[in-house]
Amino acid sequence: MNWLLPIKSIESRILTGISMFVAIMILIGWVAINEEARMQAFVRQHTGRSIERGAELFASLCAECHGEEGLGSGDRAPALNSPHLFGFDPVAEQTSAITNANRTMIRLNQLSQGLIAEVTDIENPPTEARIDEIAAELEDIDERIEEQEAIIAAAIEARAAKLNTLDTAVGRGLFPQWESVEDIATTGDNEIEIFFNNNGTRLAQVGWGGDLHGYVVTTLIHGRPGSLNVWPNSAGGMAAWSQTAGGPLREDQIEDITAYILNWDKGNAWTDEDFIAVQQYGKPLADGSLPSEPPPPPAGDNVESILSRWAAEGIVGSAVSGADLYENEYKCTDCHRAGASAPDTIGTWTRIQTERLTQAQFDGYSAEAYLIESIVRPNDYIIDGYNSGLMPVNFGLRMTDQHLADIIAFLTTQ
Amino acid sequence: MSILPFPSFLDDVKEKGFKKAVFEGVDESVERLTAGMNVQDIREALRGENPGRRPNPRLTPHADGFWLHMRPSYFNRDVTGLYPSFRLGWLSTYFVFFETITGLLLMLWYTPAPEIAYGDMLTILSNVPLGQLMRDMHRLGAEFMVAVVAMHMMRTWITGSYKKPRQFTWFTGLLLLVITGFLSFSGYLLPWDQLSLWAVTIGASMAEATPVVGDQVNLLLRGAPELGANGLLRFYLLHVLALPALLFVFTGVHYYKVIIHGHSLPPQKENIGEDTAKRVPLDKRVYFIPDVLTNELMWLGVTTFIITVLCIWFYHAPLENHADPQVTPLGTTAPWYFLWIQGALKLGDKFFWGVAFPTIALGGLAMLPYVDMTVSRRFAHRRVVLTLAMLLISATTILSYMGLAKFAVKTSAETEIVHDLTFEPAHSKVGIGRTIPFDQMTVGAYVTAQFHGPAELAPIDIVNIVNSETAANGQFAQMLQELKNQHLSVNQLPTRFRPIPAQEAPALMRVMQEFDHHLEEVPQELPNVWGALVITDNQRGLKRLDWVVSWDGVEIEGGQVRLDEDGNPIYIYARDSQGQIILDENGDPLPQRRIYSEHLFIHENSAYFD
Repeated sequence: MNWLLPIKSIESRILTGISMFVAIMILIGWVAINEEARMQAFVRQHTGRSIERGAELFASLCAECHGEEGLGSGDRAPALNSPHLFGFDPVAEQTSAITNANRTMIRLNQLSQGLIAEVTDIENPPTEARIDEIAAELEDIDERIEEQEAIIAAAIEARAAKLNTLDTAVGRGLFPQWESVEDIATTGDNEIEIFFNNNGTRLAQVGWGGDLHGYVVTTLIHGRPGSLNVWPNSAGGMAAWSQTAGGPLREDQIEDITAYILNWDKGNAWTDEDFIAVQQYGKPLADGSLPSEPPPPPAGDNVESILSRWAAEGIVGSAVSGADLYENEYKCTDCHRAGASAPDTIGTWTRIQTERLTQAQFDGYSAEAYLIESIVRPNDYIIDGYNSGLMPVNFGLRMTDQHLADIIAFLTTQ
Repeated sequence: MSILPFPSFLDDVKEKGFKKAVFEGVDESVERLTAGMNVQDIREALRGENPGRRPNPRLTPHADGFWLHMRPSYFNRDVTGLYPSFRLGWLSTYFVFFETITGLLLMLWYTPAPEIAYGDMLTILSNVPLGQLMRDMHRLGAEFMVAVVAMHMMRTWITGSYKKPRQFTWFTGLLLLVITGFLSFSGYLLPWDQLSLWAVTIGASMAEATPVVGDQVNLLLRGAPELGANGLLRFYLLHVLALPALLFVFTGVHYYKVIIHGHSLPPQKENIGEDTAKRVPLDKRVYFIPDVLTNELMWLGVTTFIITVLCIWFYHAPLENHADPQVTPLGTTAPWYFLWIQGALKLGDKFFWGVAFPTIALGGLAMLPYVDMTVSRRFAHRRVVLTLAMLLISATTILSYMGLAKFAVKTSAETEIVHDLTFEPAHSKVGIGRTIPFDQMTVGAYVTAQFHGPAELAPIDIVNIVNSETAANGQFAQMLQELKNQHLSVNQLPTRFRPIPAQEAPALMRVMQEFDHHLEEVPQELPNVWGALVITDNQRGLKRLDWVVSWDGVEIEGGQVRLDEDGNPIYIYARDSQGQIILDENGDPLPQRRIYSEHLFIHENSAYFD
């Protein structure tokens, strides 16, 4: 028996060996170019299974109070399968129509006051021709004010109709200040507008500075100390579920439940039926009374509409007041200083001109637009070396146009 | 003239011309790197020609170089074939290096902490290019290595290669086998999923059975009464530091001994009592350079290619759910190479079968060369020892089979059946109930009783009969109550059973048939049984599947149905609040109806059916 080396000739061995190594390289190369797709598929699959595990945990731990379908239960626990939690405002369209019309009216009133002052100026009386011109302009302004009033009236009517269809939801705490639609009707106009501007969604209602994922995770981890006072029918209030806070669940299980809860989101496809299906809405963390002094409307988080408003209304910032707001009112310097977790304030303007706007993704941005976006939508672009999610996302709701403009004016000096 | 104390390259160029100077420079470098062979020598060797100069330059790398100093410069032609070694020793060494390389790559992404380890696995799979391939290769390599080392031992036994003077080589080989087993076992825990936690818990629990010091050994190994952060860290350090260090040392000792005594020849090639391994006649010499070297490099390519192909198309390292000390999965076993101990444990005493028996077995193996002192290595002269070898192989196989979960571990029939249909991916298998494509999970309630109506009736008619029967005898209501207890929303409770949509959902039909088939297999445990599957919409892209088993209760004792004298199962009868047995309209006692349910959720992206 002379088996010898399985492949006898040295040439065949060298050839076999080389072709094997080449084949391995080709195979691994082939795997490598498909890796991106494979990894994405894995993430999809893993997210799916995470939702399954979350569903399992939700059914056994959360459904008792929050309901099997996450619709909440009276004075026991709020709905999670709720458009309000996911930031869907049923009357957003009407509210913004009213707010915009109100803004326009204020500007028109200012214009007309200016014109009247010109006419009534005794020291410097206008010419006949000018008076005619002013009269024509005033007439035009009156017409436009009437137009705006009509818009507001229509929007209020539409909103009232919408709220009427949501009567059941209002009764279940959609707007915690009011027990029924009739209550809304008896509330002062200003208060209503303030309310709808600030309370359209759950996150706005509680003043949460992060995103919904963070809000859900944090609630799961730490529970709601003292929530038994708010939810008298619950077994013991919302407990801290994470092992971090002494509860039973691991971090990955918290993430599973969060994935399940967030999977209820329907984006813009929520319907009136969804509002009515909810058994119990969330309650405000404060006492829920409306402020007596109406604060001016916030700037919002739409960069384009902010800029167009400023242009239309002639809003100009003051760097002096901006410096004060930047440091004291909004405490920006707590983070935006040398060596801290956010880019240093000093040099902001220079860096925008030389480093940011030169990037292709900011084509068409002005420096102001870049700054406004950075303030009202901080996570849209994160500079290399910094972390997303650190800066609160609700500055757009907290700042008025004037405050925002002042801060921008201050930053142009940096 | 150079300012250096020796002629510079420039001087060479001036003296000999550029081309010659370069060639000579390269030649010299190659000769230094190979410790003796220049370019011409290498070319001759690879062409299969005889060495062109004396003394033979192909021997100097063995004498002067580091890398080949442990390799013999020639082998006996009789040991270079597939027989007698089957290349198992070479393969074992190959896997030592293969595992080291893939393991080092995996280490880059791994943190041995319970909160992080599993997340790191997900990162390796979801965010590291080629991460999955590396993990698959490391895992498959580990399993191969255990098998190869064990086969290497059996080969040595069968060819009698452990005999004098190779007793100590055998002993170090046995140590390597144990180290390999523990290396593989310690690596098992690191992914920190359910599979690893419970396999290792079972494996490590054997240490507990040691008398007197059992608790201490256990504590030392796990770092706490239960496996946790300390245990994971200890297993990690064993896996990447202590055991590899031992493995490398003993691999060195083992191979050194192999070379000192020479590779033993096939038994029939030498006279009884002779050991001619070190005396290789000139005409039998196969030189390492170039024959064995090219051969080994070729096998390196072939083996790696095979593993690569296996890991791309045929094998993926399992990753189950996150480890959870509170949830013991049904059917947990030790890793397959420790199944024989788990099987032995089912024979009786934990200490004897779990500790004493494996120790005696290993001790016996270690003693083998010192007990079997006969000189002959011929098969015909070693009938007793060869019989022992066959007995060892059979015993290990049988014990390993007994170690499987299905052997002599009795769970109640309904639990087992539903588990069979629904279990999460484990050991590359998954419950068939999870493999129904998402679009075939038609919402509704389906019942296995559909398969047992009169043959002439259409399914819809049979289901209607089942509906009216289960409504009348309260079994449907009992099911609804059970579903409610399992937190199925009241709005989603089914109102009646529907026929299974065989046309639109053939996979659903198959699963229901399988369900029915399982239930019919155990008529004694589950008399008069029906199974139901209730499918409901839970969320966008998420369905809930409730599996229900309903049967007449019988008395179960020690996992077995209690039978009366006639061999019929003893029923449990329903009783009223006074404790009186309830009778039906015919005056017969009414068996108590039992119900069991289990639910799972399926997301459309989960892709269990891939």
